[in-house]
Amino acid sequence: MQRLLPAAIVAVAALVAGCGGSPDTGAPATADQGPQTGTITFTGTDNAETYQPVIKAFEAKNPGIKVTYTQIPFDQFNATMQQRLSAKDAAIDVYTVDEPRVSQLAAKGFLTDLSDLDAKVKTSFSATAYKTNHFRDKLWSLPMWNSTQFLFYNKTALAKAKVTPPTADPEQRWTWEQVEAAGRKAMQSGGTKYGLFMEQPEAYYQLQPLAESLGGGSGIEGDDALTPAVETDGWKKAMQWYGATFASGLSPRGIGGFQTGPVFAAGDVAFFVGGPWDLKIFGSSKVDWGVAPMPYFQGGKPVTPTGSWSVGINPASKQQGMARKFVEFATLDPAGNLATTSTTTIIPANLEAQKQYTPQMDKFSGAKTAGAAAITTYESEHTAVSRPVSVGYIQFEEVMGKAFADIRNGTNSDARLQEATRQLTDAWKSIK
Amino acid sequence: MKQRQGLIALAFLAPALVCLAVLRIVPAISAVVESFYTESLLRGGRVFAGLGNYTDLLSNKDFRQSIGVTLLFTVLVNPIQVAVSFLLAVLFTQRAAGAKLWRTLVILPIATPPAVSAVIWSVIYRPDGLANGVLERLGLPAQPFLTSPSQVLPSLIVLLSWIGVGYWMLFLIAGIQEVPEEVREAALLDGAGPWRRMVSVVLPLVRRPLAFVLVADTVSNLLVFAPVQILTKGGPNGNSNLLMYDVYSRAYAIGDIHVAQAEVVILVALTLAIVAGQFRLLRGDQ
Repeated sequence: MQRLLPAAIVAVAALVAGCGGSPDTGAPATADQGPQTGTITFTGTDNAETYQPVIKAFEAKNPGIKVTYTQIPFDQFNATMQQRLSAKDAAIDVYTVDEPRVSQLAAKGFLTDLSDLDAKVKTSFSATAYKTNHFRDKLWSLPMWNSTQFLFYNKTALAKAKVTPPTADPEQRWTWEQVEAAGRKAMQSGGTKYGLFMEQPEAYYQLQPLAESLGGGSGIEGDDALTPAVETDGWKKAMQWYGATFASGLSPRGIGGFQTGPVFAAGDVAFFVGGPWDLKIFGSSKVDWGVAPMPYFQGGKPVTPTGSWSVGINPASKQQGMARKFVEFATLDPAGNLATTSTTTIIPANLEAQKQYTPQMDKFSGAKTAGAAAITTYESEHTAVSRPVSVGYIQFEEVMGKAFADIRNGTNSDARLQEATRQLTDAWKSIK
Repeated sequence: MKQRQGLIALAFLAPALVCLAVLRIVPAISAVVESFYTESLLRGGRVFAGLGNYTDLLSNKDFRQSIGVTLLFTVLVNPIQVAVSFLLAVLFTQRAAGAKLWRTLVILPIATPPAVSAVIWSVIYRPDGLANGVLERLGLPAQPFLTSPSQVLPSLIVLLSWIGVGYWMLFLIAGIQEVPEEVREAALLDGAGPWRRMVSVVLPLVRRPLAFVLVADTVSNLLVFAPVQILTKGGPNGNSNLLMYDVYSRAYAIGDIHVAQAEVVILVALTLAIVAGQFRLLRGDQ
């Protein structure tokens, strides 16, 4: 029996092993480009099929270089990468970078400096994309995709409930109040279980526009962008409304991140807020549906999310040269950038590629997706607000994600936002 | 000659010792050392902080809540799992039709990785899931399960017991089968009923495997991680934020590796204290 005591120590010590290593700051521009041919690894969150076309095109253009793709599910991606990059894992050459995380990843020395591509990047991408991939006047990653959000609606359920559905015209955009009222009607007489559902109900990306629509700001302020500001009137109002949609049963609790889309596809919800990728995914659903612009609050202004994944190079990679070739092909080369969007329908970030891509969006799922192209263009020109650029964004997203989950589950939203302010202040103490 | 023998023994032990040092002892020491340092992302550089990380942690409301939740969880889950495992072990050592089949069914969840079990239970606990379906059939109101601050911990305990009891039951079945047949027969002849035989004969004789199960179960429950990460992320309101998950989120989500290492050290200390307490209690019993 005495042997158990050491066993306990060993068991706990085993967990300690994962916590080793300390990050260093500022990645030096690597002089050693590594071999000219070989195999590089590319790590991201999407299914392997998503990147097959771009990898194939790249390999055809660069004989002797092979690319292997590794998928890490979105829920675990950031934490796993943090762990592997801080351990200087050379088995990752190229990886996808969520745009608001660029600052912190760069500050931690997890990205190779790409500043020599600056001029090229400035002309190939939008000003927003150009800016978000910079930190301390240096370029750290190359924008691959862009995104926006749509309001998907169940045509059959709305017709049954005798509700005139929203149109695709951004000038006729619905308010959240209208969506709520129509959603309730659909629950009463349209045959749906729920009225409204967000695709990522606990993600800052989708909920920031609620607060911004009411003038609540991004939630981060200050010169160093390390001061929490999530208790503004806009944030409080938006979260009171959001919490109430769950308390009243308009939206379901307890259905997690990647189980949300199927709820709409199965016809169980009248309105669904989702991204361009859903334009094709829902195509296989038996439900008849349409797309409209993302709603805003009555008396507020229309605001939509934007930004998506960039790609960057791991400074610990021993194959910098080949990795460089791949990230340039997948982003700066319009054909390569387009190839990244042929399986999963997401907007390419390269402006040249975007020009060719956007018009096709109307036909992703036949007549159902009519109007998607015009909405996409309109939102990117008028309503898109990116997530805040802050070296503390990673902590911010983490803390806010938990706050949104609690508000969803019925915690008083004002008190929970106050709690989030305290948690952010605590978490950012170690950064300052 | 003796010295030579010692050297040979050492050579045979070397691979194990090297592994122990590299995989366990060095990381453990490194965690303790790192827990005394701090690092600023903006200013850079690693600075000695003394007990700073520990005082920061102890003054942090979320951490104190996490300790409370972990202790409550430990106090609830271990007696429940040990008692259920023991009762199942007694049940499945009876000579009854299909006992072996039932035993297999109870053990089966061990073959499922914890992550997969968690995903299965996420569907069971959904508002429109299996659990509420069963409640509805029985004419009972639907329950919020994982989305309720008061039900989240009991829901996790049910899930973890579904995974765990079969495993712990195996040790107890082995123990019960070791109880000599004569002793049971003697009790039977003395006119002891089934309850009496279980409490006064079987229970004292399986004390050793029972003690093992209690201690090992306690340690494994202090290190519960996957279901929390997959199902609740520590919520609602931190009511399922077990220490192991808190360490993980501090280290890799919040990214404060030094404070996380201080927390690991506290977790180890807590585990050792609880296990040492259990040893003391068990020794007192003998």
